[in-house]
Amino acid sequence: MMKDSNGIMTKTSERTMLINIGPQHPSTHGVLRMLVTLSGEQIIKIEPIIGYLHRGMEKMAETRTYLQYLPIVDRIDYLSGFFCSYAYISAIENLINTDIPIKAKYIRTLTMEMNRISSHLLWLGCYLLDLGATSPLFYTFIEREKILNIFEDLTGSRMMYNYYTFGGVKRDIDKELLIRIKKFSKEFLKAVQEYEDLITNNPIFLTRTKNIGILSKEDATEYSITGANLRACGIQKDLRKDSPYLIYNNLEFSVPTGTISNSHSRYIMRIKEMKESNKIINQCTDWLLSNIEDNEINTKINPLTIKPNGAALGEVESTRGLLQCYIEANGTEFPNRIKWRTPSFYATQAINTIAKGFMIPDLMAIFGSLDIIMPEVDR
Amino acid sequence: MIKSFIYPIKELIKGLLTVLKNGFKEKVTLEYPEKKKVLNNNFRGKIKYDKTKCIKCKICQKVCPAKGTIEINETFKIDYSQCIFCANCVEFCPKGALTITKEYELATNNKNELIFNEGIN
Amino acid sequence: MSIFHLIFVEYLLKLNIPEWLIFMLWQIIYFIFISLLMILAVLFLVLFERKYLAFFTRRKGPNRVGLYGCLQTVADGIKILFKENIMPKNADKFIYFVAPIIVFAPILTVYSLIPFSSDINSYKSDIGILLFMAILSLPIAGVLFAGYSSRNKYSLIGGMRSCIQAISSEIPIFLTLAGIVILTGSMNLSEIVKAQHSFSQWNIFPSILGFIIFFICSLITLNRIPFDFPEAESELVAGYNSEYSGMKFAMFFLGEYALTFIFSAYAATLFLGGYNSPFGFYIADLFDLTLITGEIIRNIEQFFWLILKTFFLILIIMWIRAAYPRFKTEKALELCWYIFIPLAIFNLFVLCIVQYFRGSL
Repeated sequence: MMKDSNGIMTKTSERTMLINIGPQHPSTHGVLRMLVTLSGEQIIKIEPIIGYLHRGMEKMAETRTYLQYLPIVDRIDYLSGFFCSYAYISAIENLINTDIPIKAKYIRTLTMEMNRISSHLLWLGCYLLDLGATSPLFYTFIEREKILNIFEDLTGSRMMYNYYTFGGVKRDIDKELLIRIKKFSKEFLKAVQEYEDLITNNPIFLTRTKNIGILSKEDATEYSITGANLRACGIQKDLRKDSPYLIYNNLEFSVPTGTISNSHSRYIMRIKEMKESNKIINQCTDWLLSNIEDNEINTKINPLTIKPNGAALGEVESTRGLLQCYIEANGTEFPNRIKWRTPSFYATQAINTIAKGFMIPDLMAIFGSLDIIMPEVDR
Repeated sequence: MIKSFIYPIKELIKGLLTVLKNGFKEKVTLEYPEKKKVLNNNFRGKIKYDKTKCIKCKICQKVCPAKGTIEINETFKIDYSQCIFCANCVEFCPKGALTITKEYELATNNKNELIFNEGIN
Repeated sequence: MSIFHLIFVEYLLKLNIPEWLIFMLWQIIYFIFISLLMILAVLFLVLFERKYLAFFTRRKGPNRVGLYGCLQTVADGIKILFKENIMPKNADKFIYFVAPIIVFAPILTVYSLIPFSSDINSYKSDIGILLFMAILSLPIAGVLFAGYSSRNKYSLIGGMRSCIQAISSEIPIFLTLAGIVILTGSMNLSEIVKAQHSFSQWNIFPSILGFIIFFICSLITLNRIPFDFPEAESELVAGYNSEYSGMKFAMFFLGEYALTFIFSAYAATLFLGGYNSPFGFYIADLFDLTLITGEIIRNIEQFFWLILKTFFLILIIMWIRAAYPRFKTEKALELCWYIFIPLAIFNLFVLCIVQYFRGSL
């Protein structure tokens, strides 16, 4: 006799097996541990266990000045560092009431959208690797490499950018780099077309992803899931449209929305999102190219002397959804408390609800499609 | 009925051809130790210390996010096993005593080799 | 009696060596030939697959060890020999030890069944076509043993999956084999090859449907990528061989590639005319050669044709590996039971009609 999750005794004839998937497993994208109860290969219950990548990001902030904390912020989500940086910096800019120059706004938008593409590309490659396709990983990494090279030349680092500063950005973007970005965005469209040829209508891929891991609207809102996972359900919620920050008001782009959120539609959402980001990149580079002589990229605040007071919230529509950073300052150079609201954390909770009853191969197809990244969950 | 059979097969063949097409594109492998990537001047690598310019103001120590990486007492000490290469110290050095270099191949067998000590004027 | 055997016996009899010893020596020579062939095929295939996949994914592939990386697999093999053998504490020791051998030995055995040329064929069995598949059902038991004995849940699931897929893939395979037997009227592999002496006589033409079914089902049997459930990396870490290391792992690994090679050779024998030249005549016959040298060169040419056809099939197998994601386990079973078995029976029906009209001509 054994107890199920509700404490009800079940007969031992329904024999189950407990299996640990993770923390070291090829497809848990880092160090998530899933305690899965199986009956044969069917999943009865999944218990996600987090905390294997906990670095104490929030506690760390309390012993560091605002400036000292800045380079660390990129590491909260190492695949989309610009978003984390932006959430933190916009909270501080709210605290000290600064408005940043228009060129800095454009540069921030440009870098963030490119970051979105690079993160989605990595997700795409890894997701298909989870499903057993090996080549797409290399194709997406080839494109991602181009973005990372551009970032390296712009910021000095490939993933941990430390590029934004209080009141703007650290370095100006030069013409040669903008032309390279322009060239990249042209090549990228072709590359996406190639991925779609290879994958989107592939019957094997369709049988793997269609009709599995269905996330209902109610569940999505109850678990406060955001980002592409939510939009795939048909709820059009995107911070870039709902309360536009930076210069998203001036840009033309649409927010792709689906009808049913299953693994396949979540994949479609991300492919479409990459295309929209590409449009934004084009518009930003056009603007920056026509305003190349504008030199004002930051407001020259001395970051060493900021001692804000009060509380502020910085939020951004990151790759994986709504990313928020709440800062409670106390007038000294150290913050009282910093709280991060990271979208993957909320998506992790939903695994049990959406993957229950499916098989082990489906678990990978469902889990991968949620685009969960562990450093962001554990912080 | 027949269409529902033929369409998946068409898509499968399209997939095969896409992969084949990629085979004839140029190769992207960079054979690392022989050929190295060309780095931009912005690249944040190892930090170079110029003791003639240093005024011992300890700002680098103050802005460093990885606490204890830079220590200035009798000597200027930087521990590359802890350094996160954010280049905050370079950026906020008031006299330009610290500069970034493009050197990034710091791997070594001995951890102590990663700690650099240099005397201060 | 093959020409090689005759030369060998004649030479040794001159040296006054007893007949029973000659018989044994002949078997040993065959064994050495087959082992060498297998090891060379595996060494080449592993390197070839890496290079070939690198080609598809815009990389250069291994190119450090030897000229263009040609010694890479040798280096890997030497490395794996020196690896520590780790056995799980609670493993069922005897079965754990025996499983890789059960996987490996039958694969080596089936090499003797394939007619590599008209004279290089160590065991001309009258039921070769059946014996091949029958012996190859043993490695599945080995995989199941490996899965059970490692006391690892991933391994167990992998072993079970291997068993399930073997059962469902072998039925369509046997049905297509029945088609071949109808077409050629023999179960002897060398007779089957002889029946396909000219290009138009190749079994693939009447039995194209059978060939496709056989090919896809053999992908399932071989655990190649659209159907690699027993060791699905992203699901089961490494499947049935998760707990194996060192030489024991190498045996699974070698077995997999050796099986890929021999299965392709089997498919080439059954459908693509085996060692027969696609032109209908042998290039060796164009030259004026003495009986013995002509025979030897003809045999080498036949061997070359078979290897060429085998590699053509391996190329396709690896191309498929580069392009597609993994099937869902139960979908693959559905594919076998609901689509391939009816199609294979239909194929059998078509072949009966074809054979009826062929017979009347």
